[in-house]
Amino acid sequence: MLTCDQYHMPTSLADALALWQDAPEGTRLVAGATDILPWAREGRAGDVHLPAMIDLSRVPELDGYTVDDGRIRLGANVVYQQFLTDEKLRALLPCMPYCSIWFADDQIREQATLAGNIVNASPAADGTPPVLALNGELEIARLEGGGIAQRIVAISDFIKGPGVTDLQPGEIVTAVICDTLEGYGGSFQKVGQRRSLVISSVCAVACVRLNEDDGTVADIRLALGGISPVPLRLTRTEQMLTGKRLTREMIVEAARQPADLVASRTRREYRRVVVRGFVEAAIEDALADCGAAVPNTDTRETANV
Amino acid sequence: MSEQTPTDLQLEFQINGRNMKRRAQPHQRLLDFIRDDLALTGAKEGCGAGECGTCSVFVDGKLVKSCLMPVAKANGTKIETIEGLAGWGGDLTPVQKAFHKTGASQCGYCIPGMVMAATSALRENPKADIEEIKERLGGNICRCTGYTKIFEAVEMARDVLSGEANAAVLEADGPGKSYIGNNVRRLDAPSKVAGRLRYAGDMVMPGMLHMQVLRSPHAHALIKSIDTSEAENLPGVACVITADDVPGEDGFGVFVHDQPIMARGRVRYVGEAIAAVTADDVMTAAHAVSLIKVEYEQVAAVFDAEEAMQNGAPVVHDYAPDNIVKHIPIRKGDLVQGFADADLVVEQTYETQAVEHAYLEPEAGIAYVDHDDVVTVVSPSQNITHHRHMLAKIIDRPINKVRFIMSPVGGGFGGKEDMIYQGMLALSAMKTGSPVRLVYTREESIISTAKRHPARITYKMGLKNDGRITAVSFRMICDGGAYGLSTEGVMRKAAILSCGPYNVPNVEIDVYGVYTHNTPSGAFRTFGAMQSQFATESHMDICAEKLGLDPFEIRRINMMHDGAVTHTQQTLGSVSMGRVLDAAEKACRWDAGPVSMRGQDRSDLGGDDTRPPCTLGARFRKTGDDDHQEVA
Repeated sequence: MLTCDQYHMPTSLADALALWQDAPEGTRLVAGATDILPWAREGRAGDVHLPAMIDLSRVPELDGYTVDDGRIRLGANVVYQQFLTDEKLRALLPCMPYCSIWFADDQIREQATLAGNIVNASPAADGTPPVLALNGELEIARLEGGGIAQRIVAISDFIKGPGVTDLQPGEIVTAVICDTLEGYGGSFQKVGQRRSLVISSVCAVACVRLNEDDGTVADIRLALGGISPVPLRLTRTEQMLTGKRLTREMIVEAARQPADLVASRTRREYRRVVVRGFVEAAIEDALADCGAAVPNTDTRETANV
Repeated sequence: MSEQTPTDLQLEFQINGRNMKRRAQPHQRLLDFIRDDLALTGAKEGCGAGECGTCSVFVDGKLVKSCLMPVAKANGTKIETIEGLAGWGGDLTPVQKAFHKTGASQCGYCIPGMVMAATSALRENPKADIEEIKERLGGNICRCTGYTKIFEAVEMARDVLSGEANAAVLEADGPGKSYIGNNVRRLDAPSKVAGRLRYAGDMVMPGMLHMQVLRSPHAHALIKSIDTSEAENLPGVACVITADDVPGEDGFGVFVHDQPIMARGRVRYVGEAIAAVTADDVMTAAHAVSLIKVEYEQVAAVFDAEEAMQNGAPVVHDYAPDNIVKHIPIRKGDLVQGFADADLVVEQTYETQAVEHAYLEPEAGIAYVDHDDVVTVVSPSQNITHHRHMLAKIIDRPINKVRFIMSPVGGGFGGKEDMIYQGMLALSAMKTGSPVRLVYTREESIISTAKRHPARITYKMGLKNDGRITAVSFRMICDGGAYGLSTEGVMRKAAILSCGPYNVPNVEIDVYGVYTHNTPSGAFRTFGAMQSQFATESHMDICAEKLGLDPFEIRRINMMHDGAVTHTQQTLGSVSMGRVLDAAEKACRWDAGPVSMRGQDRSDLGGDDTRPPCTLGARFRKTGDDDHQEVA
């Protein structure tokens, strides 16, 4: 059971940063709080007592999103459900609705934030691989000299390992900034034990855009989660496919590479097998999502329906 | 605990149309607040971890899981609970009426959350199709219905709300000439769909105290000492009980009374109760539990039933030095001759695993001593008369001074047949003179209560080339866990049903229930039949394949007919096996022939009347576009 002495709900970023800077040792920041409550139960952390919790969900500076020149700034309070229901976000971030629907059920998506998911730095986090594929950065704020100072760090530098990030004492993640990929097809693959509510064993994301004139790959983004301490961008595979007209053989070949990257502590062989099918499926689904022909006549799961 | 005193929250909010101003503790979840402080118990706690959806409520119009929401987040919001949908005493909503009509509520424990999720789905998209409905209800778990009746209800409510169906479809059908074959509505469904029915964990009594239990971290250990002094001295603690406090003959079980209400000198499985604290509130009781000091001496344990049967294996109970709870042997005919007559002998070993019942309602109960000194226990017990007799002996009271009241059972499936916690409650109520309530967490329910018996079945069958069975040797070893519970009865039923509905002239059956230091096994739907039928029917399929026979054909060749005598010498007046096979064959549009001769081109897969799995693609469907993306 989770207990605490103080529960703060600051209503400005300056107040939140001041509370956080002066908070007693052991204080936790929360956004949706959907992860911390189940964490403080038998079998995980057990009974946990915190001196204070600082809830960021009423900080207006963290709400909403803005779009500027191919990049989007997603405030840290943006919840997963928005990626599914906000038409503009669906168009700008084509892989996110699929990530969102796999992430949890409607009820948890209403509470849980993308930024909170990334800050937890779980190797199995669903939100991190898409942000990695979208060349994501985190906007981080702290108090300095009586004002609010900011720094921006790439997500690849931010996640250091399982549960470990680059966040320094007194700092709060205020936004996730990433590419907008309008016109791309997006997809997200996940394997776990239940469809609606499950932590990934492995997840994969793909975004692809084809050149209109010749149907070759103009740009492709691929990333995997759950196969190593930190999520991985499949740069080599992306380079191999860029500029090519995708054939069935090429996709199969591309999907073969990432299996070598699997470095998880558990179920390594299983993950190697899964990853191959996932990368294939991710590319094919992303192609289908942008309306392109999929060079594969096999249907996957629907074959058994 | 920190030295700092918790700072109460001041909350202003609207709930079910009423404006309220209340204080709350900083750690409370919205679920705790609405149940404990506002006495709105329609929202339940099935898991406390956001998995099951029994706690779903609307906050500012959005459905959330109230077990995952710190109560501070509700400040300034509009909350709507199941009680607010129709209002107390008010007419039910179309969604609630549809749940009543289709029989969607069985145990009813998931139903308030299901009704809320269904309401949310139709508010978000009044035209949601079945796939979208399934997807939007994906965060809510039901363990009774298999969901079909729930989905039917949501579709019915959708059609009524949109005007496509007449509201009359929500009303009761006439019974016609017979209740059989007609839609007869459950009498208790309105209380369930409205969230008004109170389960044991929803009940409160004036002056009620709360219990928490210390459980064993070891599978097998001697208890050298228990020091409860620090726990007893904690302010707010009313009493601490251990096995030493039991006044009578300590022991319960469905067949053999081998389980003490709390471990007596020795723990035999991880999760076994050792001591129970009763205090003013759950947090104080839990804190006191952490102050109890137990000195253990760990001793060798055995976790495999076959190993437990070997000479020299650790002994679980002194009264059973061979670790056998029950051996059921059955012999019929001449086995040696039967196998000698066979053209084919097939031997195979089948294993099944432990299964948790996972009823949505975790165990809960209240005990009190009434004005006439009657020790009363209110709990979702599936066997109250037997519990009453056992408890009278345990607490050394005459039977007329012991009363059991069965509260609504939020799912049992056999898992609530055992008197796992009622003894501790009764004893604490007697010691304190106050009503005492215990509500299990989901984790506690899983760790400490009975499971389905894991079984290892070695099946040997002799057959003629034409498919007739000549002999069966059936050896089944079941892991009964640390205590007897229902094991004896489960073994008996497994043995009786072992050969299925087939005529077998020569039979040798040996079924063993064995003690180990695993979680006790007990009653679970089918009571042993599932394990033996899994082996029998799998074996029939394998034999059919080896003989080149159609799986239906091999069953028809061997099935019993009216007047058949079973291997336990029971004459069966009427046997419906033939009709069952005919109906099953027709319903599945069976593609006749041995299974090994048909490949992927089977014609009997899929089809209009089969139920495809839920696909997550429902939200991505583009109308008028066939090549939409299906997210699998």
